Order: sequence, then structure tokens, then C-alpha cells
Amino acid sequence: MADGANGAVGSLVVAFIANDTVNDAKAQEVAEQLAEMVGAEAKLLDIVLGLKGSITSEDSGTRRKALNCLSSVLACLDSDKLPRNEIEVMCQFYNSKLDDELLALETLSGFRSLCRMVCVTGQQVSALMKWLTDEYVPSRYLAAVRFVPFQILDGIYHNKFKDGQIVNGKLTEQFVQAYINVASGEKDPRNLLLSFQLNERISTSLPAANSHRQELFDILFSYFPITFRPPKNDPYKIANVDLKLALRSALSAAPMFAQDAFGNLVDKLSASSPTVKQDTLLTLKRCIENFGGQACADDWLPIWKALKFEVMHSVDDNDDSLALAKVTPPNAQKEDESTINNYQTALDVIRTLSRVLQQFNDKVFDTFFTHALEDLKPNFDLGKSLKQSCAIFSAIGSSNKATFDKTIESVLPLFLVNTTEVPKLKLLLMNLSFFLGSYIQVFGETQADQHAVEVPDNKLASYKDEILMILGMALTGNSKIEVTVRTLSVIQFTKLIKMKGYLTDEEIALIVQYLTETILTDNNKNIYFACLEGLKVISEFYEQLVYSVSLKQMLDLLPNSFNGLPEFHNGEYITIETILKIILDFTTSRHILVKESIVALCSKLLDVVVRDAARSSDYCFLLLSTLLSLYDNNIVLMTPETLVSIKKLVEPVLFQILEMKDDKSVIGDDYNFPLFSTLFYFINLKGVDDTQLQRYTDVLIKEYKILEKYPCRYIMPYVKILSALDKTCVFEQSGEVFHRTVELLRADGNIPQVEKVGYLEFLMVLTNKWLSDDEIEREMDLELHSDINLKILTWVGKGLVMRSSKLGPKILKQFIELLSDKQSGALVSKLFEVFVIDINTMKRYKGCGTANNVKALYKQKFFSDIFKTLVALYRSNADMDIKCNCLTALSMVLKHTPSQLIEPFMNDLLPMLLQALEMPNSEVRVSSLETLSDVTEKFHQLITEHTSTLIPLLLKLVVPGTHNNAAVRLMSLKLLEVIAAVVPLNYCLEFKEQVIVGLLKPLSDKKRIIRKQSIDTRQVYFELGQVPFE
Amino acid sequence: MSDYLNDNPNVVEENDLPSRKVSEDDQLLMGSVGSQTCLKKKRLLLKIDNSGQSSVQQAVELLDKMLLLNSAPELTSDEESVEETDGESLEQTNEEWEPVDAQEIYDLTAHISDPEHPLSLGQLSIVNLEDIEVHDDGDYNKMAEVIIRITPTITHCSLATLIGLGIRVRLERALPPRYRFTILLKKGSHTSENQVNKQLNDKERVAAACENEQLLGVVSKMLSTCK
Repeated sequence: MADGANGAVGSLVVAFIANDTVNDAKAQEVAEQLAEMVGAEAKLLDIVLGLKGSITSEDSGTRRKALNCLSSVLACLDSDKLPRNEIEVMCQFYNSKLDDELLALETLSGFRSLCRMVCVTGQQVSALMKWLTDEYVPSRYLAAVRFVPFQILDGIYHNKFKDGQIVNGKLTEQFVQAYINVASGEKDPRNLLLSFQLNERISTSLPAANSHRQELFDILFSYFPITFRPPKNDPYKIANVDLKLALRSALSAAPMFAQDAFGNLVDKLSASSPTVKQDTLLTLKRCIENFGGQACADDWLPIWKALKFEVMHSVDDNDDSLALAKVTPPNAQKEDESTINNYQTALDVIRTLSRVLQQFNDKVFDTFFTHALEDLKPNFDLGKSLKQSCAIFSAIGSSNKATFDKTIESVLPLFLVNTTEVPKLKLLLMNLSFFLGSYIQVFGETQADQHAVEVPDNKLASYKDEILMILGMALTGNSKIEVTVRTLSVIQFTKLIKMKGYLTDEEIALIVQYLTETILTDNNKNIYFACLEGLKVISEFYEQLVYSVSLKQMLDLLPNSFNGLPEFHNGEYITIETILKIILDFTTSRHILVKESIVALCSKLLDVVVRDAARSSDYCFLLLSTLLSLYDNNIVLMTPETLVSIKKLVEPVLFQILEMKDDKSVIGDDYNFPLFSTLFYFINLKGVDDTQLQRYTDVLIKEYKILEKYPCRYIMPYVKILSALDKTCVFEQSGEVFHRTVELLRADGNIPQVEKVGYLEFLMVLTNKWLSDDEIEREMDLELHSDINLKILTWVGKGLVMRSSKLGPKILKQFIELLSDKQSGALVSKLFEVFVIDINTMKRYKGCGTANNVKALYKQKFFSDIFKTLVALYRSNADMDIKCNCLTALSMVLKHTPSQLIEPFMNDLLPMLLQALEMPNSEVRVSSLETLSDVTEKFHQLITEHTSTLIPLLLKLVVPGTHNNAAVRLMSLKLLEVIAAVVPLNYCLEFKEQVIVGLLKPLSDKKRIIRKQSIDTRQVYFELGQVPFE
Repeated sequence: MSDYLNDNPNVVEENDLPSRKVSEDDQLLMGSVGSQTCLKKKRLLLKIDNSGQSSVQQAVELLDKMLLLNSAPELTSDEESVEETDGESLEQTNEEWEPVDAQEIYDLTAHISDPEHPLSLGQLSIVNLEDIEVHDDGDYNKMAEVIIRITPTITHCSLATLIGLGIRVRLERALPPRYRFTILLKKGSHTSENQVNKQLNDKERVAAACENEQLLGVVSKMLSTCK
């Protein structure tokens, strides 16, 4: 039995040695097998015996492999497998090998495994430690070997010292000494990482560390600030930031480093490199946090001086953003580590310092604060570096309530003095902003659901009235030209709102009133956006208040006719457009505001229609547009309940308008009426039950008689309602209605446009949602080529294509054939656009169920269905008219097809696009230019091949002509500019002169914007191939 | 707002340079096709929603298209489409003529950078709107004239000639050949006014300067900030 095991061990040993360095994976596998046998059928000694010959071999390679075998097996053993006596033997064995420098890696690996064994004794460890301290010279070994002693120490630490189970003082002393010897002079990043971790553990948990404080600190600080760029294929995946963080953590680990750390770090702050500075500041912050109050109390003076210097003399990157940009949440900027902002970091450190000091002892903090105040007070008197001074104080103040009160009490009186001098006021507002920020940091930001929260008494509360007065005067007391001051005032108002528990409801109402007045009467963009932001922030927390104070007022301002401007107050006039624009902009995603606006605007619409004054058509258009935009912007967020409640209020009004059949401004207006109809779509989009379909059908078909002898434009609201209803609704009369509509369309050749579009769209919706393929096929006549029949076919085809019906391709085939028809070809080519055109009421709104059968990829399918046939038809025909029809059809389709769907067809498509540029139709040209621009941006190679054709073609399009409208000219010029950027220089250069001369004419174009573009394009070509100027 | 600007109170903020006071509406409407009513509606829309991409805007466009599409197809005879292709004459289009005015010349030149400051000529008030004269009656067959008077920052500014050259190169590239430009130093703004004026308007010397690669490089750098 033993012999058998021995034999197996022997052969495995041989297998290991054979595979070592040849196939390491295999060798590892063998080592695991051996490890499994140890303790079961074989003993470790058996392996040693098996290795006997090779381990003492003269050849160092063989010796190394043999020892590696043993060490690898040890590494695979569980830490409780090895009994005490075997460990002793092994230790002695490995000790004897320590002198063999060539075997260092294997020997040390052996020790590494032994040290993690449960049964290893203090004595054995101590012996090894002694060797590491006295005999081991790190510089003699390679990095990979040097790594092992760190691992040994790591193992010992975990095995012996963890969880405070210190065995004896002598051992820890030896451990620290061994570490110091092992870690000195280390350079390898992987080793350093472990070294830093060890150092941190030693300094935080071993009492012996105290006597070696200096050495331990020096080992760390000699690397500071650490920089390391990982090699390309670094196997260990160590990044600079890992080292940085490990070092930072080790340096700030124990208060015993405090004296050395603070002194040295303050020295390092004078470094010129911003990255070094950043690292130093962050480390300093960590140290302040970790070393505790006492350490900071001893050393704050030099730290304060250095930090103050840093803040005063470094430039804040986002200078303007602090003052003028939107009020961002205080934490937003700090998160981003990638951008270095030492100014901000230094302030952060000050904030931490003051917090630690205050928490440690009020007296110490007072001394610190008084010193700071003495230091910076002259700045307030002289008006010098005010911004930095205030930033520093606000940093101190933002630590906690105590520091906040202290700061406000002492600093605010220094500058909060109302003034009429604009530059001073500007400074005041900017400085105030810092302290409002501190408030938010200390007491938190207003939350939507808990705005009545009590905030502890604080010193800023007593300044409230003064602040409100100053801000109010800054906003209203200055002329409109003082944009900066007024914008700042609006921004500070917004900040006040964000301060949790600071303002009472009356004060907030006052601010809302200020902002409303300002936004209504001021034309400046900055102020507009500042007010808008303010109103949005307020409506986030106090929606009802904003409604009653602001929105209601604006809605009431809307007049009943377009003549004359609504007067606001003090003789200031506001345009209707402004009011509507503001309503649209600030109600977004606020339920109450949106609802109230929709209801009020609808009844306003009724008022206007009833009055029917001059220009009411334009006014109605604006109202309708605003209503639709309100719905469109918010429909996704609105709950079915909200929508239904709006419907209840709005629908009667809409029907009242429908009743006024002679009205010209909405019912009779070709543009307004379709928009008006779309309102019916939105009110029915969510929360509608099945009975509605029948109800509407009864009203519209029976009462309004939309399917009787005479066409009636009330078909439009009906179509929109049908589009909104869910496709699962049962619509029994659908077949009959479809038939009657087709009859109606065929019977009357002179149906007005709007009605015709309405009926055609009606067919499309019916086809898409309710009719089966068979029913449709019965109704359709593919052979009849009258204009109206072709249009019917197109729209029905669209309904089919959108739901990817099998019948769709049949109609498409017929249409492509018709392109070569002399009579209807031209019309058919244009009709192709209908198939892919996006109709708003057919689109899917998120969360609104599946109203229509619109397949996600129908356009892709459609395009690949027709493209090949179109190309074939184009190539096989010599007739210019037919070619033209093909290109027109294609470009009509391209206009509405996303460019990524076209990519696979690019090689066939490009030549056709180039020919389309010569088609006598500006729309075709525009569409082709649009696609070409996309192609040029994406497929540099492809476009390069065609440069010699494309450039001369474009030069023909830049001059005015019947089919070169402004859009064609502008886009051609832009495309020429893009070409110069993407096509390689050697291709472009030969056209340089030609383009420069060719663009002479556009320089005198009638349109200014085209002249501008020609100048820019021309300039690009002038600079082609010129020697770069730097 | 930076300290730098406060040190030089003469510097005008980039945003405060005189500019054409038209809305960008027309630019947003460029490239759109459609009927007059549609354009009018869109203009109205832009007043309440400036994005130019709102869904209502799309709806109006779509509607317009539908109405046009369903009207009787326009009949173009074969002859017409052949003859049309080279529509050369500029007068045939009925677009509105937007004249070249002082503001346009100002926009061309104000953004040229100063050779020694990181600021533009407009910001340093070297080029001023009121010092630009344009004489042009819009007739393509007649000459037109532009006169620019520049104000160097200091009376002995050694780079006045270079600035003038930059302006000249910019205008030569940007205006049609029927324009003649005269670039002068504003009266009393420079110690050697006459010499510089002579040099700036001497065709031969300008041409020679433009053949100097290095000089052209400097000019290119100045022009690189043009908008």
C-alpha cells in the first residue's frame, strides 16, 4: 500500500519536474494532485524523498525545479493540514536552503506557505523574522522574488497578530523590524501596494510601531507624491490611482504620524504641479479627518497658512459658473475626480479642518476662527480678494451648525450693507451666495414633500429680512440694462428657496411674484432663463403656490382678441407669444400646472372663437400649438386619472367649438382645424374605456353625418379619436364604414384638400387597426389608375406597411411598376413619401398602451423591400422620365428613413444620389444632399472615391437657379466644407483652385446666410495645404 | 468678470460686440420648404417655442405636405426641364435681397485676433462699427466700395500694418471682386499715419506680402478665430 502510494507520488513528482517552466498549468495541476495525497495516503516526507536526488543536484536548474515542486505542493495545502512536527522539519529544511541564492524564490515561497499554517510556532516565525531583518538584502533580488517576503509578512500578520491576539511583544518588535528591512528601497508597484497595506496595519494595530514611528513614516513619505504609469500589458492591472489611494490611506492611518505628516505635507503644498497639489490636499484632508482633534489642535496654524495661501493665489477654474451659472447642488462638482480643481479642494480641506477643530474643543475652534478673521478682515475693508475670503469663510461655516452660526455672526456684518452702487452690489450678491451655499450644506436642501420642516435656530435667520430687501431692490430697483446684478439677484432668490426651512410661505409667494413680474417684462435671455429656472425649482416644492401666484396671473393676462397687447402693470405691455412661451417652458412635468394651463387655454380658445375678431385665426393657432405642446411634452408622465379628469373639463368645450360650424378661425381654417382635431387624440390617449368608441361613432357619424353624401371636415376629429383608442376595441361597423368612405372619395372628384386628407387618413387608420387583409383586398381595385384611386391605395398601403401585412408588398410592387407609366408615374413617385412619413398621432407614447399596429422596424423592411427593385428599374430603363421618377421616389423615401437603415445599401445608393443632384426638383436635391451629408460624415473612404464627381456637381448647385433654392445652395456649401475636412488632402488639393473660383459667385448671393457660408467654405479651401502656423 | 478684464477697462466683452439684431428664426427656417402660409405659421410658432423641432412644428409641416401632395401634380414639360439646368442669371430668382452693410463687414473683421493679444479686433475696439462705410447699390455690374478706419491701441503700434493686412486678406477672400476696399488708420490715431496708409493700400506691396509664406502663416492664425 505504502509502496503504491510512493510509486504514485514518485511518478507525479517526475511529471511536475517535467512540466515545470514548460507547461505551468499542467504543473500546477500535478501539484494539486500531490497536495491531495498528502495527509491521506502519502506524507510530505514522501515527496521530499521522491525529490531527494534532484534537490541536491549539482545542476541549479534541476535543484530549482525540485524545490519548486515542494513549495508548490505546500502552497496547495490547507492551512490546518500540516502537523506541528512536519512544520518543524520543513522549516529546518528550508532554513538550510536560505543560503542558496539561486533558489531564493522557491525557498521563500516555501516559507510563505509555512507561515500561514495554523500550527507554526512563534519560535519558527521569529527565526525567519531574524533572517529577514539581518541577512536579507532586498536589492539583491528581482521584484518577483522581493514580493514574497511581503507576502510572508502579510501571512504572519493574518496568522498571528490579527484581531488583537498579540502573542508577545518581542515577536511584534521583530516583525516591525523585519518589515522595515523588507520595505526599504522598494520600487515595484505591486510590492509597494502590499507594503503600504502592511505599513497601515502595523501603524494602526501593533504597539511596537510607536518606537519605529519615524522609520515607518519615512518609508511611506519617501514615495509621496507617487506617480506611476502602468506599462502597456501590465499583468497586475495596477493603476496609478490604486497606489495613490493606498499610500494616502497608509499615511493618514495613525495619529502618531501627525507631526511628521502635517509638516511634510504643508511643505509639499508649495509644489507647482497641480496634480501633486491635488494629491497633497486630498491627503491632508484625510489626515485631518483621521488624526483627530488633538493632532489638529497642535498643528492647525501652519496648515491654515498654507491653505489660505493656496486659496488666495490659485485661480478658480469655474470663475463665472459660481456666480452666474445655474445653481447646482453643492456636491455635484466634487464627485468628478477627473477634473482637478485645487481651489475647491483647498476649501474643502478648510471645511474639514474647522469641523474637526470645532468637534474637538470649542475653545480651540474659537482661537482658530479668531485668527482667520484677523487674517482676512483687512480684505473686506480694502475690497481685495473678497471672493476668496468669502469662499474661505463659507467653507468654515459649512462644517456644522456651530461653525455656521459663528461665521455668519462675525462675517456677514462685514459686507452685508445695502448699496446703490452697481459694482458693489454685484460683489455683495456674489459674496452672499457663498453663505447661502453654506446654509444648504449644513441644514440641507428643501425636499418636495417636507417643506414645512423646522430648522434649528440659526444666525442667518435674523438677516432674512435684510437679505430679502437687498435682493428685491437689486431686482426691481435697477434699470433693465443691469443684467448681471438682476440675474444674480434671481439666482440668489432661487438659492433661498432651496434652503431648507428658511423661508415662510408668504416670503416664497413674494419671491414667486418677483420672478413672475421679471420673466414677463424682461427680454434678456440670461434673466429669462434664470427666472425660468427659479420658477421651476419653486414649482418642484410649492406647485400649488406657484399656480395661484404665478400661472393664474399669466393665464388671466391673455386677452380675448389678438388686437392690442395685454397690459401688465405700470404701462408695461407683454405680447401674447411671450406669455404662452413662458407657460410652455415652466409648466413642464408639473401636474397641477399642466392641467390648469390646458383647461384655462381651452376655455380661452372658446372665448376667442366666440368673439371672432380680426386675426383670431393666428391667435387660435398659437393657443392650439401651446395646448398640443403641453400635451406632447407631458403625456408620458401624466397618469390616466389626470388625463381623464382633464378630458371631463375639456371635451365639452371642444364640442362647443365644433358646434360653431360657420367659424372661420378654427373650424374653417385649414391649418388650425387639424391641430384642433389632434386635441381629441390627446384627451383620449389614456384611461378611456371601450364604450367611448361607440359614443363617438354615434355622435360623429349619426349626428354630424360625416359619411353622408357630402364630404365633411369633421372626419378629422373622428380619425384622431380612432388613432388614440386601443386597437383591441371592437369596432363592428369598420367594414361598412370603410366601404362608405371609399365610395365617397371615388364619387366626388372635387373634395377640398383638408377633407380629402382626413378621409384618406381615416382609411389608413381603419386598415391598420381593424380590417383584415381579405376585407381590404375585396375593397381595393389595383388596376384602376385614377388619381383618387392611387391615393386611396397609397394610404391603405401605408396602413398595411406599418403593420407589416403580407398584402403590403403586393401594393408596393404595383406602385413600382407604375413608376414607368407615362401618365401616373410622376404622381406615384411623389406618393412614395406617404408610406414612410411619420404621422404624430400614429406614434407610440411611452406608457400609453398599444394604440396602433406600428411595427418597430417597418421602415427597414419597407426600404429593403423596395430598394433592389427600384435600382433594377432605374438601371434597365433609358428613359429620362422614368429614371427621374425612380430617383424622386427614392429620395422621398430617404427623407424619412434614418440613415443607419440605409448604410447596408450604400454602395448601390451613392451613384444614384449623385445623379439625383441633377434632377430638376429642389426637394429631390435637398433630400439627396441630406443623405450625402450623412454619408460624408460617416464613410470617408467611400466619399473619397467619388470626390472628383461630387465637387463639380456641388459647384453647380451653389449658384441660384430655379431648382437651386436657398436650402440647396446652403447645404451644398456646407457639404463642400465637410468634404475638405474628411477627404484626404491629396484628393482635395487638386480641387482647391476650382472651388475657390467656383465660390466667387455665391459671395454675392442675395441671402446673407449663404454669403456667410460661402466665406467660411472658401476660407477652408484657402487654407488647404498651407503650412500650419505653429 | 475676470480680473484681467478689469485691468483693461477698454476691452469689450465678446457678447457685447455690436451684432445684427435679428432673431435666429430665419436661420431655423432655412432649408424648410413649403407654402407661404406654412412659413408664416412656423414663424409664429417659433415665438413660443424656439427649438424649431417641436411636435406641433412637425405637425404643421406634415399637414402642409399633405395638402400640397394631394393637390393636382404640377405639370412640367420636357423642354422646360432640359432648358432649366443651367439657371445662371442671378436676377431670375425672386428672393429678397439682403444688402451688404456695415454690420456685415464688421462681422467679417471684428473676430480677427490681434497678433499680440488673445483678444479680437472688435474687443480691443480696433475695428468699430461706426468707422465702416459701405457704398453699394446692389447692381452686379457696378463697382462697390468699402472703407474701414481702424484705431490702433497705441499711437506707435508697430503692428498696425499687420492688422491692416489681416483685414485686407479677410475681405479679399470674403467679398466678390467688384468690391474695392480702402483700409485707413483713423485720423490722429497713429504717429506715422500716412506711411501706414500708403503701405496698406498699395496693391503691389500687399501682393508681395501675401507671397511671404511666414507672413501668410501669421495672417492665417489671426483669421482662425473668425466666425
